[in-house]
Amino acid sequence: MLPLQLPGGSWAYVLSIVLVTLEVSVTAVGLSTLVSLPVALLVGFTDFPGKRLVEAVINTGMGFPSVVVGLVVLLLLSNSGPLGSLDLVFTPQAMIASQFVLATPVILSVSLSAVAGVEQEVRDAAFAMGGTRVDVGLAVLKEARYGVVTAILAGFGRAISEVGSVLIVGGNIVYSDGESYTRTLTTAITVEARQGRYEVGLVLGAILLALVLVVNGLGSWIRQRGRGGGVT
Amino acid sequence: MTLRATDVGLAYEGNQIFADVSLEIASGEVLTIVGPSGAGKTSLLRLLAAFRPPDEGTIAWNGTDIWELSRRDRLAVRRRLSMVFQEPGLFNASVLQNVTYGQRVRLPWTERVRRAVAAVTGGDHVSDAVEEALETVGLADKHDQNALSLSGGEAQRVSFARALAVDPAVMLLDEPTSNLDPRNTAVLEEAISRARDRGVGVVIATHDMHQAERISDGVAFLFDGEIVETGPPEQVFEDPTDPRTARFVDGDLLYDPDEATTPRERASSSLSPTD
Repeated sequence: MLPLQLPGGSWAYVLSIVLVTLEVSVTAVGLSTLVSLPVALLVGFTDFPGKRLVEAVINTGMGFPSVVVGLVVLLLLSNSGPLGSLDLVFTPQAMIASQFVLATPVILSVSLSAVAGVEQEVRDAAFAMGGTRVDVGLAVLKEARYGVVTAILAGFGRAISEVGSVLIVGGNIVYSDGESYTRTLTTAITVEARQGRYEVGLVLGAILLALVLVVNGLGSWIRQRGRGGGVT
Repeated sequence: MTLRATDVGLAYEGNQIFADVSLEIASGEVLTIVGPSGAGKTSLLRLLAAFRPPDEGTIAWNGTDIWELSRRDRLAVRRRLSMVFQEPGLFNASVLQNVTYGQRVRLPWTERVRRAVAAVTGGDHVSDAVEEALETVGLADKHDQNALSLSGGEAQRVSFARALAVDPAVMLLDEPTSNLDPRNTAVLEEAISRARDRGVGVVIATHDMHQAERISDGVAFLFDGEIVETGPPEQVFEDPTDPRTARFVDGDLLYDPDEATTPRERASSSLSPTD
């Protein structure tokens, strides 16, 4: 049983951290999915010079060091950077931007692989049945749905467990009343560990694990249900 | 309604797949394009289905070149056609979802979303055309079965039902029975005849002369990149005027896989939709 009063912190503090974490990661992954799926369809189904290079760049992007991404995003958003006028440094929006950069190669790469695995016959059938390009793309995404769900989950895992870049662009800020502004579960754990408040750090770690578990469980359920043929 | 190919030519990677091909398909007729494997039949069917424009000549719908039309108008023409492929190409979904696909993409988006929600909540809408198409191929009792769990013959029959359910003016069938046993072949041939009787124009690409004899009103023999003979099946098969047709009928395929097949087969698989 967890104590009702969290030693060294309050449940309101923890809850605010969870909410910021979810807000940032879900938004970043949602935006990344919206961008990645059309790009995966385009790259997967179009032959163009340099396609191999593009695929190699996408795959390389999966290994981007998060602190480097954070640094680059910080430079872009800083006052002297090209996007400095947006005044986004040390905001949740900046954290969304950095997680977007980190999650996109993962979602793009895994969904590209899933989309490329859909048989030509399925695309041809969708077109020959009177489908537009959008219809054909949607038909392919439906066929690749297990892979697409896996891609989104992998992107979410990359985003929510990430520390370096959100620390750099978000600043790990907490309001004076103790509520989180840009502090996430991961950055909070580093703070709590540094301050020796291991109980709080462990609780935060357990919550992070539980979140990842719930999201993956949801993905497994979707995949399981889809195999029955009733989803489409 | 007429779908007409006039002096159509197609090249791929510098190889001429076929040239000067002219055909006309009218309502209520079955035209069979016969020829050995690798003759370019599939590529020709894909051009007729507006997958991409021909390199030469025109494909016309009711006298209008479909590649002179706007994309929207060409889509309207495409939706008067439907195609069945040698491989069924079914979606990983129920039989019903497969057969209703063509109808769904013709609906406005609001209605599509409404029906998608209804499908999830168990209120799937099944039109008479879909029921009739499934009955025509003898699969009315397989609504809820996943299409990928069907046998090869059943899958091809679902593919035919999917093409029939959109009430097409012309059906383009690419070797529809080449992988089927005699029973499934008979079911599909009966379904083709019924479609023809309803006024559907049917084009079948096949290397099966006997099938062509059984169900065709007209036969076009495609060999080595050109239509070498056309006519009613009894004339083409029993009294061919072209020596190449005669040799094909006699069982000599006149076919060198090293020289003839590779570019044509590559071409047929490369004819992806451009719209």
